[in-house]
Amino acid sequence: MTRKYEIVYIFDSALEESEIDQILDTLHELLKTPSSPEPVTATSHWGKRTLAYEIKGKPIGYYVVARLDTEPSALTEFERRIKLEGRILRYLIVVDEGFKPLLTPAEADAAAAAAAQANTDRPGAAGAKPAAAGAKPADAEAKPADAEAKPADAEAKPADAEAKPSDAEEKPATAGAKEDK
Amino acid sequence: MRRPRKSCSVCESGVRNLDYKDERTLNRLVTERGKIIPSRLTGMCARHQRQVATAIKRARVLALLPYIRGHSR
Repeated sequence: MTRKYEIVYIFDSALEESEIDQILDTLHELLKTPSSPEPVTATSHWGKRTLAYEIKGKPIGYYVVARLDTEPSALTEFERRIKLEGRILRYLIVVDEGFKPLLTPAEADAAAAAAAQANTDRPGAAGAKPAAAGAKPADAEAKPADAEAKPADAEAKPADAEAKPSDAEEKPATAGAKEDK
Repeated sequence: MRRPRKSCSVCESGVRNLDYKDERTLNRLVTERGKIIPSRLTGMCARHQRQVATAIKRARVLALLPYIRGHSR
Protein backbone atom coordinates (compact mmCIF):
# COMPACT_ATOMS: atom_id res chain seq x y z
CA MET A 1 0.00 0.00 0.00
CA THR A 2 1.49 3.29 -1.04
CA ARG A 3 0.78 6.61 0.57
CA LYS A 4 0.99 10.15 -0.71
CA TYR A 5 3.49 12.52 0.83
CA GLU A 6 4.72 15.97 0.20
CA ILE A 7 8.32 16.89 0.86
CA VAL A 8 9.99 20.27 0.94
CA TYR A 9 13.77 20.41 0.68
CA ILE A 10 15.91 23.41 1.46
CA PHE A 11 19.25 23.16 -0.33
CA ASP A 12 22.39 25.15 0.16
CA SER A 13 22.00 28.11 -2.20
CA ALA A 14 25.62 27.80 -3.35
CA LEU A 15 24.72 24.64 -5.33
CA GLU A 16 24.21 24.58 -9.08
CA GLU A 17 20.82 23.50 -10.41
CA SER A 18 22.42 20.45 -11.96
CA GLU A 19 23.87 19.37 -8.62
CA ILE A 20 20.50 19.76 -6.97
CA ASP A 21 18.82 17.68 -9.66
CA GLN A 22 21.48 15.05 -9.22
CA ILE A 23 20.93 14.88 -5.45
CA LEU A 24 17.19 14.69 -5.96
CA ASP A 25 17.56 11.88 -8.49
CA THR A 26 19.69 9.75 -6.23
CA LEU A 27 17.40 10.31 -3.26
CA HIS A 28 14.21 9.65 -5.18
CA GLU A 29 15.73 6.46 -6.53
CA LEU A 30 15.52 5.10 -2.98
CA LEU A 31 11.76 5.45 -2.96
CA LYS A 32 11.21 3.02 -5.82
CA THR A 33 9.49 -0.13 -4.64
CA PRO A 34 7.68 -2.84 -6.61
CA SER A 35 4.35 -1.21 -5.77
CA SER A 36 5.53 2.29 -6.60
CA PRO A 37 7.70 2.25 -9.72
CA GLU A 38 7.14 6.00 -10.22
CA PRO A 39 7.38 7.46 -6.71
CA VAL A 40 7.61 11.15 -7.65
CA THR A 41 4.36 12.56 -9.00
CA ALA A 42 5.32 16.24 -9.19
CA THR A 43 8.19 18.56 -8.40
CA SER A 44 8.32 22.31 -8.17
CA HIS A 45 11.48 24.37 -7.88
CA TRP A 46 10.83 27.54 -5.93
CA GLY A 47 14.37 28.72 -6.39
CA LYS A 48 16.37 30.80 -3.96
CA ARG A 49 14.73 32.72 -1.20
CA THR A 50 15.73 34.34 2.03
CA LEU A 51 15.24 32.19 5.10
CA ALA A 52 13.29 33.61 8.02
CA TYR A 53 16.23 32.66 10.19
CA GLU A 54 19.65 31.26 9.45
CA ILE A 55 19.95 27.51 9.07
CA LYS A 56 23.42 26.07 9.49
CA GLY A 57 24.73 29.61 9.21
CA LYS A 58 23.17 30.17 5.78
CA PRO A 59 20.79 33.09 5.23
CA ILE A 60 19.53 31.90 1.82
CA GLY A 61 18.14 28.54 0.73
CA TYR A 62 17.03 26.89 -2.48
CA TYR A 63 13.55 25.40 -2.07
CA VAL A 64 12.22 22.36 -3.89
CA VAL A 65 8.81 20.83 -3.26
CA ALA A 66 7.95 17.32 -4.43
CA ARG A 67 4.88 15.12 -4.25
CA LEU A 68 5.62 11.50 -3.54
CA ASP A 69 3.61 8.33 -3.79
CA THR A 70 5.51 5.57 -2.07
CA GLU A 71 5.65 2.86 0.57
CA PRO A 72 5.90 4.21 4.12
CA SER A 73 8.64 1.65 4.78
CA ALA A 74 10.82 3.19 2.06
CA LEU A 75 10.85 6.49 3.90
CA THR A 76 13.09 5.29 6.73
CA GLU A 77 16.13 4.79 4.53
CA PHE A 78 15.18 7.87 2.50
CA GLU A 79 15.16 10.10 5.58
CA ARG A 80 18.39 8.62 6.84
CA ARG A 81 20.10 9.52 3.57
CA ILE A 82 18.69 13.06 3.61
CA LYS A 83 20.11 13.59 7.05
CA LEU A 84 23.52 12.41 5.86
CA GLU A 85 23.42 14.79 2.91
CA GLY A 86 25.07 17.94 4.25
CA ARG A 87 24.02 20.02 1.28
CA ILE A 88 20.37 19.78 2.32
CA LEU A 89 19.89 22.38 5.01
CA ARG A 90 16.47 21.14 6.03
CA TYR A 91 13.56 19.04 4.85
CA LEU A 92 9.97 18.44 5.87
CA ILE A 93 7.85 15.44 4.94
CA VAL A 94 4.11 15.66 5.46
CA VAL A 95 1.22 13.46 4.42
CA ASP A 96 -0.19 15.07 1.29
CA GLU A 97 -3.81 16.12 1.64
CA GLY A 98 -3.77 16.70 -2.09
CA PHE A 99 -6.24 19.56 -2.18
CA LYS A 100 -4.12 21.97 -4.20
CA PRO A 101 -1.94 21.77 -7.29
CA LEU A 102 1.74 22.47 -6.79
CA LEU A 103 2.58 26.08 -7.57
CA THR A 104 5.77 28.03 -7.17
CA PRO A 105 5.34 31.19 -5.07
CA ALA A 106 5.82 33.27 -8.20
CA GLU A 107 2.93 31.53 -9.93
CA ALA A 108 0.75 31.77 -6.84
CA ASP A 109 1.61 35.45 -6.43
CA ALA A 110 0.77 36.22 -10.02
CA ALA A 111 -2.62 34.60 -9.62
CA ALA A 112 -3.29 36.32 -6.29
CA ALA A 113 -2.15 39.72 -7.52
CA ALA A 114 -4.34 39.54 -10.59
CA ALA A 115 -7.30 38.52 -8.47
CA ALA A 116 -6.67 41.29 -5.95
CA GLN A 117 -6.39 43.86 -8.70
CA ALA A 118 -9.61 42.70 -10.27
CA ASN A 119 -11.26 43.02 -6.87
CA THR A 120 -10.13 46.54 -6.11
CA ASP A 121 -10.71 47.84 -9.61
CA ARG A 122 -14.30 46.78 -9.81
CA PRO A 123 -15.89 46.48 -6.38
CA GLY A 124 -19.36 45.90 -7.83
CA ALA A 125 -18.26 43.08 -10.06
CA ALA A 126 -16.91 41.11 -7.14
CA GLY A 127 -20.48 40.23 -6.34
CA ALA A 128 -20.63 38.11 -9.44
CA LYS A 129 -18.02 35.72 -8.05
CA PRO A 130 -19.38 33.50 -5.31
CA ALA A 131 -16.10 33.18 -3.42
CA ALA A 132 -15.43 36.90 -3.26
CA ALA A 133 -18.99 37.91 -2.56
CA GLY A 134 -19.00 37.27 1.18
CA ALA A 135 -15.49 38.38 1.99
CA LYS A 136 -15.22 41.65 0.16
CA PRO A 137 -18.00 44.11 1.03
CA ALA A 138 -18.81 42.87 4.51
CA ASP A 139 -15.30 42.93 5.92
CA ALA A 140 -13.88 46.11 4.56
CA GLU A 141 -12.20 46.85 7.87
CA ALA A 142 -11.16 43.30 8.79
CA LYS A 143 -7.83 42.95 7.07
CA PRO A 144 -7.37 39.18 7.22
CA ALA A 145 -10.65 38.57 5.45
CA ASP A 146 -9.69 40.62 2.42
CA ALA A 147 -6.43 38.87 2.08
CA GLU A 148 -7.92 35.44 2.48
CA ALA A 149 -10.11 36.01 -0.50
CA LYS A 150 -7.11 35.99 -2.77
CA PRO A 151 -6.33 32.30 -3.19
CA ALA A 152 -9.93 31.41 -3.84
CA ASP A 153 -10.20 34.13 -6.43
CA ALA A 154 -7.25 32.79 -8.32
CA GLU A 155 -9.46 30.69 -10.56
CA ALA A 156 -11.66 33.64 -11.26
CA LYS A 157 -8.71 35.64 -12.49
CA PRO A 158 -8.69 34.99 -16.24
CA ALA A 159 -12.32 35.92 -16.64
CA ASP A 160 -11.85 39.07 -14.59
CA ALA A 161 -8.81 40.17 -16.49
CA GLU A 162 -10.53 39.83 -19.83
CA ALA A 163 -13.63 41.57 -18.66
CA LYS A 164 -11.74 44.58 -17.37
CA PRO A 165 -11.09 46.68 -20.45
CA SER A 166 -14.68 46.69 -21.67
CA ASP A 167 -16.09 47.17 -18.19
CA ALA A 168 -13.87 50.12 -17.43
CA GLU A 169 -16.16 52.60 -19.16
CA GLU A 170 -19.26 51.30 -17.42
CA LYS A 171 -20.19 51.66 -13.79
CA PRO A 172 -18.90 48.83 -11.61
CA ALA A 173 -22.39 47.96 -10.41
CA THR A 174 -23.73 47.38 -13.89
CA ALA A 175 -20.71 45.36 -14.79
CA GLY A 176 -21.46 43.02 -11.92
CA ALA A 177 -25.07 42.67 -12.91
CA LYS A 178 -24.14 41.83 -16.46
CA GLU A 179 -21.91 38.98 -15.52
CA ASP A 180 -24.70 37.40 -13.58
CA LYS A 181 -26.76 36.82 -16.68
CA MET B 1 -22.41 44.03 26.17
CA ARG B 2 -21.36 41.53 23.56
CA ARG B 3 -19.65 42.34 20.40
CA PRO B 4 -21.04 40.48 17.41
CA ARG B 5 -18.92 37.48 16.52
CA LYS B 6 -16.45 38.18 13.76
CA SER B 7 -16.76 35.76 10.91
CA CYS B 8 -14.03 33.35 9.92
CA SER B 9 -12.08 34.89 7.07
CA VAL B 10 -10.89 31.54 5.75
CA CYS B 11 -14.43 30.17 5.52
CA GLU B 12 -15.59 33.28 3.76
CA SER B 13 -12.86 33.09 1.19
CA GLY B 14 -14.14 29.63 0.29
CA VAL B 15 -10.86 27.91 1.15
CA ARG B 16 -11.38 24.67 2.98
CA ASN B 17 -7.81 23.75 3.78
CA LEU B 18 -4.90 25.98 4.66
CA ASP B 19 -1.51 25.42 3.09
CA TYR B 20 1.62 25.61 5.23
CA LYS B 21 3.53 26.83 2.16
CA ASP B 22 1.28 29.86 1.74
CA GLU B 23 3.46 32.10 3.84
CA ARG B 24 1.68 35.25 2.68
CA THR B 25 -1.63 34.24 4.23
CA LEU B 26 -0.02 32.87 7.37
CA ASN B 27 1.93 36.06 7.88
CA ARG B 28 -1.30 37.87 8.60
CA LEU B 29 -2.13 35.43 11.37
CA VAL B 30 0.97 36.04 13.46
CA THR B 31 1.90 39.07 15.53
CA GLU B 32 4.80 41.31 14.64
CA ARG B 33 6.90 39.17 16.94
CA GLY B 34 5.79 36.00 15.20
CA LYS B 35 3.30 34.63 17.71
CA ILE B 36 0.12 32.95 16.51
CA ILE B 37 -2.82 35.33 16.96
CA PRO B 38 -5.64 33.73 18.98
CA SER B 39 -8.95 33.11 17.23
CA ARG B 40 -10.55 35.36 19.82
CA LEU B 41 -8.89 38.24 17.99
CA THR B 42 -9.12 37.06 14.41
CA GLY B 43 -12.59 35.52 14.56
CA MET B 44 -11.26 32.33 13.03
CA CYS B 45 -13.55 29.31 13.37
CA ALA B 46 -12.26 26.44 15.49
CA ARG B 47 -11.62 24.15 12.56
CA HIS B 48 -9.56 26.72 10.71
CA GLN B 49 -7.75 27.94 13.80
CA ARG B 50 -6.46 24.41 14.29
CA GLN B 51 -5.29 24.34 10.69
CA VAL B 52 -3.70 27.76 11.10
CA ALA B 53 -1.75 26.55 14.12
CA THR B 54 -0.32 23.47 12.39
CA ALA B 55 0.36 25.39 9.20
CA ILE B 56 2.28 28.10 11.02
CA LYS B 57 4.30 25.56 12.96
CA ARG B 58 5.21 23.73 9.75
CA ALA B 59 6.09 27.00 8.04
CA ARG B 60 8.42 27.82 10.93
CA VAL B 61 10.32 24.58 10.46
CA LEU B 62 10.86 25.52 6.81
CA ALA B 63 12.06 29.02 7.71
CA LEU B 64 9.14 30.53 5.82
CA LEU B 65 8.07 32.17 9.07
CA PRO B 66 10.30 33.07 11.97
CA TYR B 67 9.96 31.51 15.39
CA ILE B 68 10.69 34.93 16.82
CA ARG B 69 10.80 38.05 14.70
CA GLY B 70 13.14 40.90 15.51
CA HIS B 71 15.43 38.78 17.61
CA SER B 72 19.11 39.15 16.91
CA ARG B 73 22.18 38.18 18.76
